[in-house]
Amino acid sequence: MVSGNGDARAAIREWLQENVTGGRDVTNDEPLIDNGVMTSLQTVELVVFLEDTFGIVVEDEEFDEENFGSVDSIATLVESKAA
Amino acid sequence: MKFRPEFTLHDLLQNSVARDPSALSVVDGDAEYTYEDLERESSALGSALADSGVGRGDRVGVLVEKSWEATVAMLAASRIGAAYVNVNPLFKAPQVEYLAGDCNIRVMIGDSQKLDALGPKTVETAFYRGAKPEGHAASSYVDLAEAIKGDRLSEDRKVSESDLATILYTSGSTGMPKGVATSQRNVVVGAQIVSTYLENTPEDRILSALPLNFDAGMSQFTTSLRAGATLYLLRSRLPGDLLKALRRHEITGVTGVPPLWALLIRGGKSLRENPLTHLRYLANTGGRIPQANLDELRKLLEPSGTKIFLMYGLTEAFRSTYLAPEEIWRSSPEQGNCIGKAIPNTDIMVITKAGKEAAPGEPGELVHRGPTVAMGYWGNEEATRKAYRPNPLAPPELLDVERVVYSGDTVKRDEEGYLYFLGREDAMIKNQGYRLSPEEVENLLLGSGLVHEACAFGVENPAVGQDVIAVISLRNGGEDGPVDKVREYVIENGPPYMVPREILVKDELPKTASGKIDRKGISNAYSN
Repeated sequence: MVSGNGDARAAIREWLQENVTGGRDVTNDEPLIDNGVMTSLQTVELVVFLEDTFGIVVEDEEFDEENFGSVDSIATLVESKAA
Repeated sequence: MKFRPEFTLHDLLQNSVARDPSALSVVDGDAEYTYEDLERESSALGSALADSGVGRGDRVGVLVEKSWEATVAMLAASRIGAAYVNVNPLFKAPQVEYLAGDCNIRVMIGDSQKLDALGPKTVETAFYRGAKPEGHAASSYVDLAEAIKGDRLSEDRKVSESDLATILYTSGSTGMPKGVATSQRNVVVGAQIVSTYLENTPEDRILSALPLNFDAGMSQFTTSLRAGATLYLLRSRLPGDLLKALRRHEITGVTGVPPLWALLIRGGKSLRENPLTHLRYLANTGGRIPQANLDELRKLLEPSGTKIFLMYGLTEAFRSTYLAPEEIWRSSPEQGNCIGKAIPNTDIMVITKAGKEAAPGEPGELVHRGPTVAMGYWGNEEATRKAYRPNPLAPPELLDVERVVYSGDTVKRDEEGYLYFLGREDAMIKNQGYRLSPEEVENLLLGSGLVHEACAFGVENPAVGQDVIAVISLRNGGEDGPVDKVREYVIENGPPYMVPREILVKDELPKTASGKIDRKGISNAYSN
């Protein structure tokens, strides 16, 4: 299990690099949904990854664009749950 | 109250304004717009488009995200006799430029950011939403916000049901995307047919979750317009946003593609605890829902009164068949993929290779006959002649008068007249509700400049329809860069559904006897 600020961001970015962007690193505030970086199916895979890695449960209503708009917002959600 | 006969989209608008001008037409986020707003702003924008030289039959591109402005743009173009072309919001610049060139779009209504990504002089005039674009995509720029707020009435141009209303871009089994030229009559009759079987009324609150460039997404707008209902625009495809929109607006009807339902089911806990009691119907299109998901959807939604419609449509004929909610049991692993019966006012024929009507149980090609049969593919006579052919069952006295659409889909009909989808013979790929041809993916890969040869094909995956797989050989024996660079290029320059799930590298691709890349052989080798 991973914890701490930097770790969540790094882990999410690494996952995006491996599974979505074909090796390109994304910035913490880059819009992930608006620019079509991630498809909706990839966000589902990301949620599974987050739940497994951080031992959290993302509730149905939390799985929205506000929380999944950028690496920063996803990390904030993860941290609020892991705290 | 006097209603107009329904010939054009403008007639549908006028009737809904006459019914209740203060009724809500479109809700975009927190902004609510009435039918009177739709009338006034489409008139103002129509007049501004006419000022920019848009004439009857001209094509107007719509490159704004799904929004209030996008709905106004469609009606503005339509009321001055022009055709709107809704551009897939996932398209990157190369696809938009291709489309603008293919149907010669001279005036584009677009988000500034998207306009700025286009090459110089892609269009003559751009109506921009947002800050004034800095690039040179257009020779002249007009502020959309100002144009839409104007108080001038659009001139009273003659528009008839035979006029071109829109071009719906869709992919086939070969080549680049083709534009299906769709008339006012096609669009209006399509709205009549669909709103009849979905029983839409002014009380309906319809959730628009599909893009407006997709026939079924546009159909939700036109059916809502005809019924005088309210359309709620949803851009997000994440389950949390979908659930919140369904609840917050007490949505009565929603249409989507299979991946959307997979996301909705993910919210199963919330749906069980707090059922969607307002949701009157859910309609699926764009592919088969995996049986496990369909069973789960029925369990979650039917107890609280939601009816599930399974629809099948060809862009070439707008909409074709549907399986009614009470017959939904007919689609099962034992019986097969039942697509129901023809939509109202339409005949679906099953035609054998010999050109005869198939007997019950005998496979044949689905052929669509009726008033939604479109005008043909824009600027592509060869493809048009292939898909739009004379009615094979017409009496000899009427030979070659009526055209029907050959779908390319193989189906069979049972003794009771229900149709079952069996498959396709060609190489068209269907991924997440999107159609694409292998050549489109291959052209995108080759466009990177790093790829020597490319072969793309679809591999069955019930969760998405088909995965896109690519096998490539690299230029200069791979010295120009690793496969990651290719992947990166594809992601930057193509829509997400066109990005291969896997890119495999070979030294050389196998060829057929005639020297062409052996797509079938490569695909078979991959599957084994």
